[in-house]
Amino acid sequence: MSWQVHLPALVLSVPLLGAFVALLMVKPILRNLWFTFILVATTVLAFLLWRRVGISGTMVYVMGGEKWNLTLPSGMALPIRIIMEVDAFGAFMILTGSLATLASGLFSIRFLDRVHDGNKFVALFFLLFTGMLGLEATGDLFNFFVFLEIASVASFGLIAFWRDSPEAVEASFKYAVLSIFVALLFLIGVGILYGIYGTLNMAAVAKNMQVGFLEKVALVLFITSMAMKCGAVPLHMWEPDAYGQAPAGVSCFLVVVGQASLYGMFRIAFSVYGQAFQGSVLAWIIIVFGLLSMFIGVIMAVIQKEAKRLMAYHCISQTGYMLMGIGLGLLALSSPQAMSEYGFTAMKGGIFHIINNAMYKGLLFLTAGSLFYATGTTELDKLGGISRNMPYTTMMFAVAAAAIAGLPPFNGFVSKLLIYESSFVVHPFLAVVAMVTSILTLASFVKVFQSGFLGPSREELASTREVPLTMIVGMSVLCLMILGLSLMPNWALSNLIEPAARDLVNQASYIQAVMGSGL
Amino acid sequence: MINNMPMIAVGALFVIGLYGVLFKRNIIKIAIAVSVVESSTNLFLIVLGYRTGGSIPVYTLAGDFKKMVLPTPQALTLTAIVIGLATTALLLALIMLLYKHYETLDVYEIRRLRG
Amino acid sequence: MTIGTLYTGFGYWNVYAWIMFFAIGALVVLFIRFTGRSDYEKGTYQDEVFYGGNPVPQDGEDLAVPASSSYWGFTKALASFYEVLVNLHTGILSDYMGFLIVTAAIISLLILL
Repeated sequence: MSWQVHLPALVLSVPLLGAFVALLMVKPILRNLWFTFILVATTVLAFLLWRRVGISGTMVYVMGGEKWNLTLPSGMALPIRIIMEVDAFGAFMILTGSLATLASGLFSIRFLDRVHDGNKFVALFFLLFTGMLGLEATGDLFNFFVFLEIASVASFGLIAFWRDSPEAVEASFKYAVLSIFVALLFLIGVGILYGIYGTLNMAAVAKNMQVGFLEKVALVLFITSMAMKCGAVPLHMWEPDAYGQAPAGVSCFLVVVGQASLYGMFRIAFSVYGQAFQGSVLAWIIIVFGLLSMFIGVIMAVIQKEAKRLMAYHCISQTGYMLMGIGLGLLALSSPQAMSEYGFTAMKGGIFHIINNAMYKGLLFLTAGSLFYATGTTELDKLGGISRNMPYTTMMFAVAAAAIAGLPPFNGFVSKLLIYESSFVVHPFLAVVAMVTSILTLASFVKVFQSGFLGPSREELASTREVPLTMIVGMSVLCLMILGLSLMPNWALSNLIEPAARDLVNQASYIQAVMGSGL
Repeated sequence: MINNMPMIAVGALFVIGLYGVLFKRNIIKIAIAVSVVESSTNLFLIVLGYRTGGSIPVYTLAGDFKKMVLPTPQALTLTAIVIGLATTALLLALIMLLYKHYETLDVYEIRRLRG
Repeated sequence: MTIGTLYTGFGYWNVYAWIMFFAIGALVVLFIRFTGRSDYEKGTYQDEVFYGGNPVPQDGEDLAVPASSSYWGFTKALASFYEVLVNLHTGILSDYMGFLIVTAAIISLLILL
């Protein structure tokens, strides 16, 4: 058990090692083996981390300290060194991210056969993996910025990976300029908080937090930058371009990277500011972001003609569900009566939606990728009647589309039910918008299913075959997770989601884990 | 007023960079403007650590000192400069590829992805 | 049944009860189908596509309903709204940055005042 105290550092260093060694693996078979090995290893480590956090509470790890949990040496008032802090919400996000990355990595192995510098793809992939896991494991504001930039720079390279396609480079450029600017805004916010409190540690800032004018300026900068990174309307315009032009495995991966910035927003809103921020302005801002994202995302998705761009717009609308659900929890943070009435249920719905979205949205992007691999196009006007040639892809698309539309018995229905019921108590309009969004989601996926898979078979697509085995294995990881979450919703809710929701709300235990330990 | 000059410089640089990103049409100028915003952020971080009359934050080189300038923002700024180098290099590489594909450097023309 | 029941604060959801209900419904549907005509042969004239009396095109491409023409009624009814919305998504980078700045300004007005 004693090596498991180093899990927060291990879960970051294993993919980083994978990234650097991958540049040496020029032979394809060696590179594929290394890719699979590091992916599986990191997923196992993430699972062990989640289990350990579930058993022994919030884990703290001091990078470079004399002892792994010496946060406040010899009675200092503020913690020194960079401290990783993984509570149940962070461990949940790490587990979700690792599962989605495992599936998209397994899917991308065959895709690498068509390029000749695949080891660079693997290196960038693992750098993005490290960046995402670091975003979810860190307890330090500047470290959050550093991992944010690691993840962003790796994703610029991955989105523009098909350098011969002008649209991919254009999408990557637009995402790059916006992302760099927004990360600088975040850094200014970190600088403001450092100037006031003299520390960069999230728990130490939370303990001494008294919200004045400058802290509110920093909060505005944080919320804007995190809202752009996760794709909330009206800051969403880069998302259809970037997710639509990236290779399919990378699109599936970028979904969970966007959710990591959603984690950052909630970490700042709940654990750094928490109840020190009086009033409900912040909560209503997040709820309005959620409403706009839900509605505008899906309205724009209905008219799209290209499969991956349509799915990227749906990603925006599903992010709106998460924002609204957890925003309702933030609204109820100040009063325990409101929290037990609707707040906790809304938070459970929002957090459950995070893992649901990673699973079914990832699976949808991977099926679009298999369509592209088999037929060479994702334009819906040119596809048709493929279900006879590609039965596995069709079945998995049907499962994922039913799940995202919120049809019972799938897991999408469970999380949406929790969000509908709790938002109805606050104001019926919120539940109405959520339901209309759900109907339009079903409408657009019926359109994709009918035009892409059903219908008469076309002559030029008559020779398409099913995608290779590793791609099906990658897709079935996510499909099995969807079916598992659908058949065992109460197990998932009480073991995965409820500890996460409780730890997110509990600012005191977050502070105590860092400030209370040490000699 | 003269004591606040660094902060005024930070604000002015930020506004100049913001103007460049919003209103310039040439994508190279947009990349330069992002770099200017980076400089303003780095300047902001360094200025945060300044203490009036402080000496350099190195024990062996400071000699007699009453107080030192804070070293942490200097470390943060070094990190931010290196990150800025990586992002600027990547932006310029993307601009080169964009020019090869689109034959134009005008941001109003590079919009095949819309809607 | 109590296994697999998820209690939300307002009701409950049991996935196995739903699956059971759906299975019973499927059995009823199959029973009704079973009482239908039994003189269907695959591959005869009964299998032909009805194309409004016209000759059926050979290539599936002429027969399929393309994706860009689905939901025509919905799109036409909301045409004025869609025009505004699609023209907002210009694709120009400076406009994206403009949205960012305007959103930051609105949020700062709300939070700082």
